[in-house]
Amino acid sequence: MLEMLSGAQFWADVIKIIMIDLLLSGDNAVVIALACRNLPHEQRKKGILFGVGGAIGLRIVLTFFAVSLLAFPYLKLIGALLLMWIGVKLILPEVEHIAGNIQANNRLLGAIKTIIIADFVMSLDNVLGVAAAAKGNVWLLVFGLLISIPMIAWSSQLVLKLIDRFPFIVYAGGALLGYVAGEMLVGEALLKPLVEVRHYLHWLTPLFCALLVLVIGKLLAMRKIVEPEVIDLVDESVFAGADKSSTKQRVSTIQGKD
Amino acid sequence: MKILIPLDGSANAQRAFDYVVNNIAIWKDAPKLLLLNVQANLASGNVKLFINQETINDHYREQGEAALESACALLDSNGLSYQYHISVGASAVAIVQYAHEQCVDLIVMGRQGQSGLQTRLLGSVVNKVLHLAECPVMLVK
Repeated sequence: MLEMLSGAQFWADVIKIIMIDLLLSGDNAVVIALACRNLPHEQRKKGILFGVGGAIGLRIVLTFFAVSLLAFPYLKLIGALLLMWIGVKLILPEVEHIAGNIQANNRLLGAIKTIIIADFVMSLDNVLGVAAAAKGNVWLLVFGLLISIPMIAWSSQLVLKLIDRFPFIVYAGGALLGYVAGEMLVGEALLKPLVEVRHYLHWLTPLFCALLVLVIGKLLAMRKIVEPEVIDLVDESVFAGADKSSTKQRVSTIQGKD
Repeated sequence: MKILIPLDGSANAQRAFDYVVNNIAIWKDAPKLLLLNVQANLASGNVKLFINQETINDHYREQGEAALESACALLDSNGLSYQYHISVGASAVAIVQYAHEQCVDLIVMGRQGQSGLQTRLLGSVVNKVLHLAECPVMLVK
């Protein structure tokens, strides 16, 4: 353990994991808070508690599941491809989902169900990224999990705002995911004979994958550029002397103006 | 005269608001006050997959009203007419856009709204408003 701490490679991996956790932490906290919004007040705290607890548990299980799956042949190959796709997706501007009929849940169980399903979906990329970056090192894996847990509970909007302000962050993140995917490819048992003969593949493959993610991401991103728009939500005038109860009726709310 | 005061619930923004209300007599005709709160857009793709828009809007409205509450209460008790607005988007852009739409004559802001860390990482909203606004901007220290 102690020798590990002094190695440069170890710290490089630690930084990779922190970056991946930050970029792929998802919006679990936002979903949890919003899913519990419609609950009766006394159930809200319970919903958030169960939601966060379930999300953390799910992430731990998924991480170890992913790691044991990656030990099988071929699956590292698939994992690497998936990871590169996640990198490309990170670079791409967001597609507006045409939301179907999502019911707001006012039941505790319903809210928890929403949170767990949402967390499952949002965890997959993070879990795969961390599992790949940890390269089977249990300490790194646990560290990656520990870093991601506060982000499940209190994800701040800061990362999202930072990405808005400095778009190159997503390119750096995409390249990082490509690089990690490349490292995973090198570790694939099937490619072992090839990599052992041509030693330069150890550093060339990750670099190539990073570049590939950047190029594909950039090409696809050029096709759809969307400017975030300002939405007017509430607009109301209150006239002097009017008492609050009457102004309530004059509420003019603009909604869903996209 | 139309004066826009963006409020984010911070003490600095409140100070700017207080300054205008306390010194409202310096304008010959009582100015029209416009209060604005801007909510950061939470609804990234994944959030929208699981939470319906109505719930998200309710959340914005609740947060926005909480940020505007004390200012509205003060204006109500002073018998001043005003207009309030909640937008969703990037703070500076939303402030300038609303000022433009409403043909505002003056924007009054606190010198610094967000926490130091946010300002350091993201740049200050005040600076961006100064840069983008088409009307005079007054900063209250």
